[in-house]
Amino acid sequence: MPIHILSDAVASQIAAGEVVERPASVVKELLENSLDAGASKITILIQQAGKQLIEVSDNGTGIPAGEVSLAVTRHATSKLASAADLFAIRTLGFRGEALASIASVSRSTLTTRTQTEETGSRLVVDGGDGGRLEHLAYPIGTTVRVENLFSNVPARLKFLKTDATERQQVHSLVTRYALAYARVQFTLMDDGKTVLQTSGRGDRREVLASLYGVDTARQMLEVVFDDGEFTIEGFTSPLALTRSNRREMTFFINGRWVQDTALNAALVQAYSGLLMVGRFPISVLFIQLPPEEVDVNVHPAKAEVRFCNSDRVFSAVQRAVRRAVMAYSPIPAIPPQKLWGTAAAQTGVTSSQAAGLDWQFAHEGGISGEGQSPISQAAQQAASIPDSLPAGSLPLLRLIGQIGATYLVAEGPDGLYLIDQHAAHERVLFEKLMEQRSTEVIMQPLLQPVTVQLASHQAASLADSLDALNSLGFLVEEFGGNAFRVRALPAVFSSSDPETLLRAVIEDIEEDESPMQTEIEARIASRVCKRAAIKGGTVMAQEEQLALLRDLEKCQSPRTCPHGRPTMIHLSVDLLERQFGRRGSR
Amino acid sequence: MRLSIVNSLDSKILIFQGVIYFNFESILSIIIRQQFPPERSPTVKVTVSQQQLAHGLSLVSRAVAPRSTLPVLANILVATDEGRVRLSATNLELGISCWIGGQIAEEGAITVPARTLSDLVNTLPNDPVLLELNPKNQVLNVRCGTSITDIKGIDAQEYPPIPVPDLADGLELNVSDFKEMIQQVVFAVSTDEARPVLQGVQMSVNGTFITMAATDGYRVSVRKAELEHPAASPFSIIIPARALSELARIASDGDQKIVMVTPPGRGQVLFHLRDAELVSSLIEGNFPPYDKIIPTSFKTKTILSTAEFLKSCRQAEIIARDGNNIVRLDIQPAVEGAPGVVEISAQSEETGFSEIKLAANVEGPGLLIAFNVRFLREVLDVMKSPNIVLQTNANNTPGLLQQTGDDSFIHVIMPMHLG
Repeated sequence: MPIHILSDAVASQIAAGEVVERPASVVKELLENSLDAGASKITILIQQAGKQLIEVSDNGTGIPAGEVSLAVTRHATSKLASAADLFAIRTLGFRGEALASIASVSRSTLTTRTQTEETGSRLVVDGGDGGRLEHLAYPIGTTVRVENLFSNVPARLKFLKTDATERQQVHSLVTRYALAYARVQFTLMDDGKTVLQTSGRGDRREVLASLYGVDTARQMLEVVFDDGEFTIEGFTSPLALTRSNRREMTFFINGRWVQDTALNAALVQAYSGLLMVGRFPISVLFIQLPPEEVDVNVHPAKAEVRFCNSDRVFSAVQRAVRRAVMAYSPIPAIPPQKLWGTAAAQTGVTSSQAAGLDWQFAHEGGISGEGQSPISQAAQQAASIPDSLPAGSLPLLRLIGQIGATYLVAEGPDGLYLIDQHAAHERVLFEKLMEQRSTEVIMQPLLQPVTVQLASHQAASLADSLDALNSLGFLVEEFGGNAFRVRALPAVFSSSDPETLLRAVIEDIEEDESPMQTEIEARIASRVCKRAAIKGGTVMAQEEQLALLRDLEKCQSPRTCPHGRPTMIHLSVDLLERQFGRRGSR
Repeated sequence: MRLSIVNSLDSKILIFQGVIYFNFESILSIIIRQQFPPERSPTVKVTVSQQQLAHGLSLVSRAVAPRSTLPVLANILVATDEGRVRLSATNLELGISCWIGGQIAEEGAITVPARTLSDLVNTLPNDPVLLELNPKNQVLNVRCGTSITDIKGIDAQEYPPIPVPDLADGLELNVSDFKEMIQQVVFAVSTDEARPVLQGVQMSVNGTFITMAATDGYRVSVRKAELEHPAASPFSIIIPARALSELARIASDGDQKIVMVTPPGRGQVLFHLRDAELVSSLIEGNFPPYDKIIPTSFKTKTILSTAEFLKSCRQAEIIARDGNNIVRLDIQPAVEGAPGVVEISAQSEETGFSEIKLAANVEGPGLLIAFNVRFLREVLDVMKSPNIVLQTNANNTPGLLQQTGDDSFIHVIMPMHLG
């Protein structure tokens, strides 16, 4: 076959492959257009998981009649004028590809009217072939109706997952955008049923509840961070609320949903030492930064971004989240139904009802209050506190005694605390040793240098951080190609295999964690655990119990042991009253 | 380049530049092919002394694999063998056998769980023990004094075959000399499983010269000796440190000779004593060429009392062990009648500070050099002479320790750096 230029139709379909992958990506592109058009109300309709119909209507600015036909051609956009604009993008879209791509793989109808026009206009495009422009009566705004998606691309249709999965994708996408744009009223109808309806009042917790359920939404901690240039807001889970995978970490950069493993890593790092191994937080974080700080033109669907100054972004995320978690992480409270299941059942109030009522309460607070829940006020106070948290993040406790030679019982202003003596002592010793850790850098040179061959991307990141590494007690030098010679190791790690250690440290660097921090922490934690911490089953004198309690109060994160297990369980006064039937469930 | 294939028929072993390479699969197949004596005896009936049995079990128990997926490896083989009773255990890497005297009424073999048998025998009175196998259900009946115990066993046919060595070509080693050699090198191996070669001790034999060396990357210990009878051909093998430690433990000084055999093509080494035998698989790989890193000339030569130096290191280690194990040696030559001094100091942020002054005979310029105190302590522990020589050049080049007037044992340690 001779070389020839592809027809427009084929070229559009190829381009569509990058942007329009599944129904959810159509919804995303249309949603973003609506948001860019300044809509305050967006209604999304899907049928048969979007395969039959996707309709997105908004009350945005609309498209002038004269530009409608242009809108569905490729590389046509109103959001960008010159290449220079690419580096300061304030709109969600800019590539001018979405509508054309969608139109090329479906039968699309675009209906729109601007404020200045008297009649609306409608254009039907079927598989890329544009029809005639009609005029008709229509409210201000735009509706895009996408029917028979992928009907002319059977291959794509075949690769779609089950309806349930595709539907789930659309739901989670719309919900996340609803979270990010809490001032926009979203309605999502799926096969005629309303799945999501937000008020548009700007209350994100309300949307959060429809994403994760009322219970989870209530527990989520508010993150507030502003350093003048970056602002981070959103929610992150308390220590008791975790998932076994990283899927529930959502990031919006300047209103755009992105997937970024480095951001994930920063988030996980914020929880390091607080969560059990293999558990991950749930977070929804909205990061605002100057548009020139971020390059969104990396990925056709814009799911990935690049940062000019990634370290700063990551450390901001880490600090913001860490602060929220440290300040509010409630001690794992015992859910009543778990502890005294039968008692809860007897009161006749199911937990979901109770939770629902509680939710209502918080919700009302949101409306009638000053637009801020108490927690967010507290969060803002926390944001003004410098990075070092006040040591006493535990209330003053009054010791009652020891039970089972394993747990301490103490009273706080807000109820009863059960403290695991081993875990608590581990935490105390861990923080003491971390503080005392010698800052002196001692190197143990090798008799013969060890040559390590790295993958090229690892070699690049290592080459960049050689100085930092060598200041930690390594002596590593480039040895041509992607090879490095290790001449010395930090003395603390001299019993490790040089190659294994170097690779571990490179992984730290690549994940933007401070190199060796995790290794050092792990080492100290295991030392504390093995050697020094008092074991469960040891009877302690009252003075010892008291000393442990006082030391624990002074800890930075007293609520978990260095391995992430809880050191204490809290039975709140409220819970006790409810369990004893002194007070009904609110 | 010298390259010779010793056994060209199935090329299980290859000698390349003096290093022996073994084909691992062929070794396995040999182990599997080599069956336990096929003439299956119907039963066992022997009488042995409780003391000898307990001692024998304690020797071989060290090779038992208690948590293996092969249940028979958690057992000890009890078999009659040419008028004696043989006890054997193996974890497939290390195998230990020992022979004890006894009255044999009926010949045979059985395996029984090592812990059950050892624990039982340890509690028995010091009386003759009768071991009798019921071949129908593979139960070993143990009688001693008034106690009668039945232990369920596994058929000896299932036990991995134990190689029968041809001791004729063996290398004769003197027990006490060889134990000392082992002691002086074995502590320097690496504990890191990522580098198996460094978990072994290299043994090179050439004519009547035998050299053993071990290193963990920071220090190297080399001990040379001379054999009474020269070896037939030079060779170099890497023996797991654990096997050598076990050998030093089971070899009692009453034994005069150890006969060492490396059956060709098996990747194994066998040490034969009068009443015991130890088989170990060898470690494959290239041992680091340590010759190049042993310095040949030095600027400072310090002679210290071994016992004093060792005691000082032990004291310093109490302080240093919670830090980075670092001790500083401030070597000061004699000035104007005042004798030479070595100041040994340790400091740890957690524990405190310690300083010890030792009189020393220092030749050459003074030097401040830092070492891992554990390395020093471990080598001083195996120094036999009353005084030792520490030779150094600079604070970033290896230091060398030796016994005075003796070149057979050298130990090189890389100093630590303050960054």
